[in-house]
Amino acid sequence: MTGQEDAVLDVIRSRRVVRAMSGEPVARKALETVLDAGRWAPTAGNRHLQRFVATDDPTTLRVLRMVSPGMIQRPAAAITICTDRRLAAEYGFPPGAAGLHIDVGTAMATLLLAAHAIGLGAGPVSSFSRAAVGAVLQLPEGWVPEIVVCLGHPAPGAPPPMHPRPRLTWHDLTTWVPHKEGA
Amino acid sequence: MSDIPNVAGRAPLVLDEDEALELLAYLVTAARTQVDEAAEYGPLRLLTAARRLGAAIAPRASASTAQFVTGPLVAAPELAVPRDGRDEYATRLDEVCRALAAHLTDHFTGQPGVAP
Repeated sequence: MTGQEDAVLDVIRSRRVVRAMSGEPVARKALETVLDAGRWAPTAGNRHLQRFVATDDPTTLRVLRMVSPGMIQRPAAAITICTDRRLAAEYGFPPGAAGLHIDVGTAMATLLLAAHAIGLGAGPVSSFSRAAVGAVLQLPEGWVPEIVVCLGHPAPGAPPPMHPRPRLTWHDLTTWVPHKEGA
Repeated sequence: MSDIPNVAGRAPLVLDEDEALELLAYLVTAARTQVDEAAEYGPLRLLTAARRLGAAIAPRASASTAQFVTGPLVAAPELAVPRDGRDEYATRLDEVCRALAAHLTDHFTGQPGVAP
């Protein structure tokens, strides 16, 4: 295994959802690095139907948190991944198409990994009022906020995970086919 | 600015407009998100609201109220949900409710409530 492969796998294995963040600001350059990584996330058909709305404005972040019950942390910056539904419709996607959500997931995972790779803490939040977040961020017509990635410098005092349980291995999550007898 | 004067005989205000609005926004948006989310999040959201209200009022509340909101109220894990160990979860919430009742009795009647 090369050093580069090791480094990538280390980042994947050591990333955690960060729910306690200090008030220290996130450098704009660091935010841009994370956003640039998001641009390289795979998208179905290379269509790029997702849009990133970034903010490090304290007042906007405060109001964003007020309308996002799932936002436990107080982030120093946030990237909201939106789907441009109008553009999606032009490609022929019906409103509830699952494929659009898959691309949100790949973008989110890429942002989380990129943040961790440069020493930032990151945590995704999906429990928020779509209507309120759209208004707070003044989203253009047709942009739907799908997930908010909170960013900041990790701080002590994070609440314990919601479902503490024994750590799963890939064996627990994988089924081989064809099935082996007795396996 | 509030139109209600802080007159004698009235309990002092412990929440300002910004803090109240913050909690109001949390409650309204949590009502909406809960329509689409797992039922187990319901008590979690209510307890988070209670914790946030407690944190906001603690600096201006009476010593005994501050003690309750920084003690028994925050004793339950912040992200706990009833799915894993429902009985234990309910027992823990019952303890918080008893502590609350004891504090309320003490606060409103001046008679010491029965501590859990």
